[in-house]
Amino acid sequence: MQISKTTRQQLDLLWLLVTKEVTFRYKRTFLGFLWTLLNPLLTALVFFVAFTIFMRFEIEDFAFFLLAALFPWSWFAGSVTVATGTLTGNVSLIRKVVFPKHLLILSVVIAQMVNFAFTLPVLLGLAFFYDLPPSLNWLIGIPILATVQFAIIYGLGLMVSVANVYFRDLEYMVTVVISLLFWMTPIIYPLSAVPEGARPFLTLNPVSYPIQAWRDLFMHNTLNWPYIGIGLVTAVVVLLLGHWLFRRMSGRLDEVL
Amino acid sequence: MARPELVEVPCPELVEGASPATVIAAENLWKSFPLQRDRPGLKELLVNAPRFFNGRTKGFWALRGVSFTVNKGESLGIIGRNGAGKSTLLSLLLGVALPTKGRLEVRGNRTPLLELGAGFHPDLTGIENIYINGVMLGLTRAEVRARLDEIIAFSELAEFVHLPLRTYSSGMQMRLAFAVAIHTSPEVLLVDEILAVGDESFQRKSGKALTDLIGGGVTTVFVSHSMEAIKKLCHRAIWLEQGEVRAEGEAGQVVEEYLKAQGQA
Repeated sequence: MQISKTTRQQLDLLWLLVTKEVTFRYKRTFLGFLWTLLNPLLTALVFFVAFTIFMRFEIEDFAFFLLAALFPWSWFAGSVTVATGTLTGNVSLIRKVVFPKHLLILSVVIAQMVNFAFTLPVLLGLAFFYDLPPSLNWLIGIPILATVQFAIIYGLGLMVSVANVYFRDLEYMVTVVISLLFWMTPIIYPLSAVPEGARPFLTLNPVSYPIQAWRDLFMHNTLNWPYIGIGLVTAVVVLLLGHWLFRRMSGRLDEVL
Repeated sequence: MARPELVEVPCPELVEGASPATVIAAENLWKSFPLQRDRPGLKELLVNAPRFFNGRTKGFWALRGVSFTVNKGESLGIIGRNGAGKSTLLSLLLGVALPTKGRLEVRGNRTPLLELGAGFHPDLTGIENIYINGVMLGLTRAEVRARLDEIIAFSELAEFVHLPLRTYSSGMQMRLAFAVAIHTSPEVLLVDEILAVGDESFQRKSGKALTDLIGGGVTTVFVSHSMEAIKKLCHRAIWLEQGEVRAEGEAGQVVEEYLKAQGQA
């Protein structure tokens, strides 16, 4: 397949940005790349201790239950947080060279997805440990859910990054909103624990249904098509909106950055 | 990439025979910036509420109706005092900024020699930074690989390229950046006062590389406060004042006019 030089060049640029994001982050640390795995594991440990020892949640296979949702969530939360400061943090690049700015956001989301991919073996191990061995559905469900979630995160990333240029307070608000969303997402509790009347509010949270779908896939080998469907609709809406907003607002970046 | 034979003329001749094709066409360019570059915060909003809601839409016009063309192989100098709009004009030509009004067309691969070293990262080695910077400037990774030896040789940093950039002196970093920029096979070169890169011998070398490029038919726009450099490197010049073209013509003439006006001021 013949691809044009511009496409080739942009792919190369994306590749370099992703590698920079994935590997160089921990370049000068002793454990290096291991932190990619250690970070989510340690976070998980904190939650595990808090909810099984101190709060005594009565949920079956709690470690698996928690991680099956926490890992996809971290991909979402990490990307959105980093993306918010991506345009404002790369002022010199944006003023020095011409390149498609959305590649910066794309590289953040891809890098975080790579981190997520590294947690999959942990989930696989847990599945066997809790005697809930995976079926072929994993092979179908993971790519589909990953695509849906990728689109949602990328769309949101486009929005928050460009909005933060014009309204810098957003960077600080995002941290709070993300932690609010964390508690509004069925991560440490099952979706079924939410009262019927409050369910509609969950749709305000773009990832609550995809997250639940991830957990159904990992723990029960089921493809929860209704939830995946809701996720897909969210993805299309968010992506279109994000794309439109980014195109509209990123043209005049040089005047405000 | 064969380096063109050294042309020992101070002011490079225009390429003979080739019909003068327009490479840069600027038509009535206007560029405004919001006057309040610092976004007003809540405090300012409360204090200056009335003023805030009135004429805030007024901007600062950095360029007011600038028009010019540059033909292929031509070298255009831009002179003027600080704040005259020279750098704004260069950023429009480069494409990192869009004109508020007007039409601008630039044909060909633009290479900025404005601020060098886009994408440089202190924790990466010299070689890794060459790749990042090269791709940032529009090369593919394969193209960077093909030119790697040339770039390293030009930078004279062969012993250091495997060390992280943070161990380099600032002069060495600039040499590396200049070496990458000059090897991107530019068709349109945008230069902003960076002839002073590195030590004396490297300055001579970078100056010669620049003259070679211009002599080799690369279209150049050159911003400088050094009237000597403008006279030496440019065919034509534009004198910008407060965002408008005050004079345009043969480089030596414009420089003379400009100097005369400065003497009176």
